[in-house]
Amino acid sequence: MAEKRKFARKYCKYCEAKVEYVDYKDAKILRHSLSERYKIMPRRLTGNCKRHQEMVELAIKRARATAVIPYIIDTQKVVAVPFEQLQQ
Amino acid sequence: MRHYELLVVVKPTLTVEELQAKLTYLKEILEKNGAVITATLEMGTRKLAYQIDKFERGTYVVFYFTAPTAAIAEVERLIRISEEFIRFMTVKFENQKELRFWNKQVEKITKKSDAPVAAVESKEIAEEQTVTTEA
Repeated sequence: MAEKRKFARKYCKYCEAKVEYVDYKDAKILRHSLSERYKIMPRRLTGNCKRHQEMVELAIKRARATAVIPYIIDTQKVVAVPFEQLQQ
Repeated sequence: MRHYELLVVVKPTLTVEELQAKLTYLKEILEKNGAVITATLEMGTRKLAYQIDKFERGTYVVFYFTAPTAAIAEVERLIRISEEFIRFMTVKFENQKELRFWNKQVEKITKKSDAPVAAVESKEIAEEQTVTTEA
């Protein structure tokens, strides 16, 4: 038997929200495409369309460079509540 | 002339006057190089996602401007020299969708900066009116 599907039916959430440009300063909009260790999630798991995935990738890389989101959370830095700082 | 957005992260240790002095210095550099600043947004001091030069916090300021392409290299060179700017990011807005976003951001900022003033004025007017009616 095939493994049970981990994620629900996929669709591009950015298309649904009609996002034209992903702003790197807005961490909330990037959150959907980040794992809890702040890695960029692949398209096959998030369901993003290619156009939006490319926009999000660029925005995430810019956000990392300007310390809006961290590059990586290692075992020392793991926090109890991920995305805590984004919920402000 | 191209549309740009410049984000700078300033040291958190500066006083308000020093910060304003630095920002006016940056604005002067931009204008000297032929840039036309349409909007500035001060996002305030917030926590950095990771330490930069031993700082845990940083003051974020964003400029929206149009400038000739040659200006950017010069402005970035001067930012690198200055110690108070711990990070910066220049983003170019080129195609239609990006420009629409740029205009939207500028509109949002100008509206926000105008709104409080207008609100205060209207309140004052309202107060005046109440005074006159009482009299």
